[in-house]
Amino acid sequence: MVGVERVLGAFGEHLVLTYASLFLSIAVGIPLAILSLKSKRLASFIMGFANLVQAIPSFAVVAIVVPLLGIGFTPAVFAIFLRALLPIVKNTYVGLSEVDEAMIDAARGIGLTEWEIIRYVRFPHAYPAMFAGIKFAAVLANSIAILTAIIGSGGLGSLVFEGLASFNTDKILAGSIPAILMAVFIDISFSYLEKRVTPEGIGGG
Amino acid sequence: MVIEMLFRRIETVELRDVTKRYGDFTAVDHVNLEIIGGELLILIGPSGSGKTTLLRTINRLIEPDEGEVFINGRNIKEFDVVKLRRSIGYVIQQIGLFPHMTVKDNIGLLLKLEGWSEEEIDKRVKELLHLVALPEDFVTRYPHQLSGGQQQRVGLARALALNPPLLLMDEPFGALDPILRKQLQEEFLRIKEVLGRTIVFVTHDIEEAFKLGDRIAIMRDGRLVQVGYPDELVLNPADEFVAKLVNVDKKFKHLDTLKVKDLMVDVEKYIVEVQRKDELLQWMRDKNIEFAVIVEKGALKGVTDLKSLLKSQDLEEALMEPLVFSPGDSLASALAEMKRRNAFLGVVVEREKPVGILLANEVLLKLL
Repeated sequence: MVGVERVLGAFGEHLVLTYASLFLSIAVGIPLAILSLKSKRLASFIMGFANLVQAIPSFAVVAIVVPLLGIGFTPAVFAIFLRALLPIVKNTYVGLSEVDEAMIDAARGIGLTEWEIIRYVRFPHAYPAMFAGIKFAAVLANSIAILTAIIGSGGLGSLVFEGLASFNTDKILAGSIPAILMAVFIDISFSYLEKRVTPEGIGGG
Repeated sequence: MVIEMLFRRIETVELRDVTKRYGDFTAVDHVNLEIIGGELLILIGPSGSGKTTLLRTINRLIEPDEGEVFINGRNIKEFDVVKLRRSIGYVIQQIGLFPHMTVKDNIGLLLKLEGWSEEEIDKRVKELLHLVALPEDFVTRYPHQLSGGQQQRVGLARALALNPPLLLMDEPFGALDPILRKQLQEEFLRIKEVLGRTIVFVTHDIEEAFKLGDRIAIMRDGRLVQVGYPDELVLNPADEFVAKLVNVDKKFKHLDTLKVKDLMVDVEKYIVEVQRKDELLQWMRDKNIEFAVIVEKGALKGVTDLKSLLKSQDLEEALMEPLVFSPGDSLASALAEMKRRNAFLGVVVEREKPVGILLANEVLLKLL
């Protein structure tokens, strides 16, 4: 048997790890998406970089962080952040840039500044795509947070890896079941949030 | 709350040598056009004639490659572009409404951005809904819950929110079915009277042009073919293209059956018996009329208009001998005579007494 305290502690670490990296990705990803609107070249650079990171296996991303930043919690956050960035940047950018040009034109014509157009016209239309991206990033962060136990991030992953190393099924389940539950929780909570913030009158909202 | 407009009223909007090219294609080709404050100027032409492009140079949605645009004598490049656009109402086909905003948010967006309080916005939005004949409880609706005609009204209300002195309208009724379009045109005429502001209106529908326009500018292949009042276009089309566009033959096929008396206007408003120039000037100004029919003991003495009156020494000098018709004359020949003599009016006389006036443009408007 695994102690409840041990599981709760690992779950807490896992939660902090997942959400800290996710918020970091959102905090960096959304401004990057807005910046990408400003110039096609910048957009292709940012998308290219994010795509490249996405193409690398998660495990390799986690590994490559070690020679750069060492081991522990912070390098783990950075690895998850890198992987979660793309879905957020890409989806937000696509959402922001695929707003009907005629509507942007009308907004400009009645005298909105570029920033006001982003805020009042582009963003409300980008919400569905943006939230789909964030939801995907959250699920991704949740799963990579298991992997990062290998570089000493702690969390549910340590239980899983310990269990695997010692053929301890209880430990494996104690680590993986909360992670599965959390994935379900993330999916449900973000879907709810998406519904709440997507204004009426926008497709699928 | 008062918003700072770049201009409170429009004296003139002047397009000087405006040219816009897209690669090899010249969308607008050295257009010179002056829009007079207070008028509704129609820009009409087939698709691809450059009318929308020209319109959009006025609010700088399009920057011309050559030429300049002046409002009240000032180059619009001197203005901040956002301020310029907020000083100019802009109405386009229904796509212009924001689908994610309620009617209130659509109309009130600019007010909000200009820092109006919630109560002020509420009040103004209701005022505007009233103006465009929509019920107040529409404020909470979304555009997709409205019919095409209702959306268009909201679009107009939004354009008027900041009370801009100049309105640009790009085929605002283009997407509506014919019956609804007629109805909205009627209402728009009413609103136009109330507002009394300068409007540039793009359409491809000549009926609409004649119905709504004070003056009509006809475009083709990026060039301005002719600008004029409706009667000028019908009576003196610049070329075959204009003649065909205004479709003179078809419109006037029933002209043969009409008599002068069918379309003359009442003379009462214009008839006066005076001796002195200043007396007449004062009278015309009081009545706010451009010309007068002068009689002596009830019999026609002559006609005059403000322009010649102001130029002449006395009344005698300003008097002109008008074209005279009798009520039973054929309208077609009367109009032909007016065209030949380049006269905009004729006096209809019965037993030496003026009984009516034939105004070329009034007649045309009634016929169209």
